[in-house]
Amino acid sequence: MKKFALLSSLLLVGSAFAAAPRDTLVVQQAADVPTLDPTATYDTASGAIVENIYETLVTYKGASIRELEPLLATKWAISNGGRTYTFDLRKNVKFHSGNTMTCRDAEYSIERNLVTNSAESGNWFIAESLLGTGANAKDDKTITWARIDRAVECNNAGQLVFTLPKVDPAFLAKMAYPGQSIVDSKHAIAQGEWKGTSADWANWVGKDLQGSNLSKQPSGTGAYKLVRRDANAILLQAHDAYWGKKPAIRNVVIQKVPELAARQQAFLRGDADLIETGGRANIEAQLKGKPGVVVLDNLPNTTATAVFMNENIKDPARLGSGKLDGRGIPANFFSDVNVRRGMAYAFNYAQYIKDVQNGKGKQRTMLLPDTFPGYDAEVKTYTYNPKQAEAYFKRAWGGNVWKNGFTLNVAYRAGSVPAQTAMEILKRNVEALNPKFRVNIQAKEWSAMLNDSKAGKEPMIIIGWAPDYADADNFMYTFYSSNGYYFPRNNWKDASVDKWLEQARATTNQATRDRLYSLVGQRAYEQAPFVLVPAGVFVTAHRDNLVGVSARTFNPMTSFDYTGTLWKDLSKK
Amino acid sequence: MLNFIVRRLVQIPLVMLALSVLIVALTMLLTPAQRAAGYIRSEQQAAQLERIIRDRGLDQPFPVQYGKWLQSTLQGDLGFSKSSGKPVLETIVERLPNTIELTLVTAIPIILIGIWLGTLSALNKDRFIDQVLRVFAVLGYSLPTFVLGIVLLAVLYGYLGWLPGAGQLEVINQFAVGDLRRYTGMLGIDALLNGRFDIALDVLRHLIMPALTLFIVSSATILKVMRNNMLEALTSDYVRTARAKGLSERVVNLKHARRNALLSIVTLGGFTVIGLLSGSIITETIFAYPGIGQWVVQSALALDIPSVLGFALLSALIVVVVSTLIDILYGVVDPRVRFD
Repeated sequence: MKKFALLSSLLLVGSAFAAAPRDTLVVQQAADVPTLDPTATYDTASGAIVENIYETLVTYKGASIRELEPLLATKWAISNGGRTYTFDLRKNVKFHSGNTMTCRDAEYSIERNLVTNSAESGNWFIAESLLGTGANAKDDKTITWARIDRAVECNNAGQLVFTLPKVDPAFLAKMAYPGQSIVDSKHAIAQGEWKGTSADWANWVGKDLQGSNLSKQPSGTGAYKLVRRDANAILLQAHDAYWGKKPAIRNVVIQKVPELAARQQAFLRGDADLIETGGRANIEAQLKGKPGVVVLDNLPNTTATAVFMNENIKDPARLGSGKLDGRGIPANFFSDVNVRRGMAYAFNYAQYIKDVQNGKGKQRTMLLPDTFPGYDAEVKTYTYNPKQAEAYFKRAWGGNVWKNGFTLNVAYRAGSVPAQTAMEILKRNVEALNPKFRVNIQAKEWSAMLNDSKAGKEPMIIIGWAPDYADADNFMYTFYSSNGYYFPRNNWKDASVDKWLEQARATTNQATRDRLYSLVGQRAYEQAPFVLVPAGVFVTAHRDNLVGVSARTFNPMTSFDYTGTLWKDLSKK
Repeated sequence: MLNFIVRRLVQIPLVMLALSVLIVALTMLLTPAQRAAGYIRSEQQAAQLERIIRDRGLDQPFPVQYGKWLQSTLQGDLGFSKSSGKPVLETIVERLPNTIELTLVTAIPIILIGIWLGTLSALNKDRFIDQVLRVFAVLGYSLPTFVLGIVLLAVLYGYLGWLPGAGQLEVINQFAVGDLRRYTGMLGIDALLNGRFDIALDVLRHLIMPALTLFIVSSATILKVMRNNMLEALTSDYVRTARAKGLSERVVNLKHARRNALLSIVTLGGFTVIGLLSGSIITETIFAYPGIGQWVVQSALALDIPSVLGFALLSALIVVVVSTLIDILYGVVDPRVRFD
């Protein structure tokens, strides 16, 4: 019995030792980490670790997303009318393997991204810059090894030289993306990765490298190196030979804890320094005001969300009767600007901010994060105004919309409460205008919605965009250009807007670009191709002994969005 | 007996083959776009949906897709699990021992204590102890695992701080584990074999809450079935005969009544073990226990088809193997049951 009592006490006591040690950062999250290979990194959970193991040539300066500073490069020069970028590289930088970084590593890393450019990766946008197309050699036969080799080269002075087919003002910002990190080529080749030559390049085109050997045994120049990855934890330790300032935190543990309640208990007890919190509602209800917890609010949100109104609906099944007889809509229903404006005035923005964002939301003037260069706060915005909405619907289609009414089928991604609420707000307000107006909401599985909307089949959907790099082009071109990624979803084409967006792509003069984006914003306000959904204000929480987390240091382009910093900039007291 | 065992062992690959056709066919009920969506995580990647479908051959006919899958599976390649960031086979090899360890710690108490409590309850029919055990059984029956797990976690870890929270090890030990020589893959046992009693104790402490949750839920079923079986056996003719022969009450109860009452428990116990080995999905998820169950739930949510297929195949193997063992054990317990 005594033995049993002793064992019981041994088993039960000990949780007192559990609190996260001072030299260790403990993060608990539900998210999977699919890869630690930069070339395959295209999600924040992977990016959050990759950006601490590896480093890019340039990075964002502090919390700024407008200014870039050298990281593995020491400086760069732009020549040849903005088409050649020459980087001087930092000397005596050691990889985790002990190898010294050379220009050859940088060349190998970017060429590897261009060669593989798998469908799952984010390499399409660097391929656009360097090869003039987002496709890889499998999909575009004009891409040859010679073109890839020419695009990225080391010159005799050991500088890394990029040659772009045309000017790309977003090129530097793209180079700050964790996917463009510099990998240890000798180590990678020894692990069985691409040899870096023309001999085997064709075998690697389009290859999904999420589970690559490099993902299992990464070697970067970052302040942290991978120690081990087991079923539920990723363990990292400070890189002793790091070229920069020695990190204050020696160990980092990323634990996978799928259940929010379990994460929350660990956080409140101090066993975890940071957790995936479950969002604003949970932070405000469960964490705010609790001992040892600091809530960091009013942080920038760099996503943009919109309700799309398709002017050329390609699925007759979604049109009902297909006529303006109250039982459906014609395929080009949204081509009348009055319908679009009517919708924009019928959305209750304030109510959405209150109901979905707990009052912490902001109406934007354009589909571009307000912290991004190019954002114009002066562009007008729509407000909820039933009288105006009514007036525009009365004008639409020569008065037939108001007279006959319509039945509109709209869709949102199943499971997305904010998207569902937005559609319900719109439905309620539109139907309240006229008893002949009917809006049917349908929850669609993500893949189905993506596919159908891309095929132009969906009359109205709600969807968002998160940035790959901090340049207005990544949003403005995507949403507003008729060559942009989202075009098939709303088929809104405006010649002036297209021209301005192409001009903005062709110049590196930021003032000119700002003016052009402002023009796009104003035109979009007039033409209302989208209902702009208010942007939520980002919020996060951390333990009060964690130092280095603040609104002043928070950079929204950092994948590690628990703090908006790299781990090397954190410490614990 | 030997013939029977050989026959059952020969059946295993055939059953597995049939199951694999069924499992792959079931995943094919999803459209190529649905399956391709499992490979993407953002709207940006959605632009590549068609490329993913084409590159991975998701639009090819069933025989082609099944053939490719079977070929790579037979070569030991079950595909890549993006939920774990590792190949599926490697993930199974890493996680299965953890689930086996949890099963070892849990299954024996569940079955033995369940049998004992069921017997106790039946022998004390309608007395206080029986009433208490029946309440326990009803609670175990009706309380959702999810609720029970969260309550235990909130009280024993969050409020009282007696037990550690989610996971398998304290942070302080997580780095030390890398130095252990792995013999079985079961962390606690390997720690003992390495002489690292502190780590073994840590593993054990982390096992208490998941084991307790599983114990409460699963032993209630065995208790209930055992109680009913015992009550039936105690009123049977052979028990009356045994008593008439003047045998002691203890011998009558334990040797005659309980032996017969145990027959259906063999099957039930077997299925309990199957359930635990196939992954105690909810328990492992709540307590972030790095076993098979936690992985598969994440895989299913992420439409990680290679992982789901790998898990289904593993589960099928466990069911077939354990069912065979149950059949063999059944014959051992009940000599009347022979194998033709």
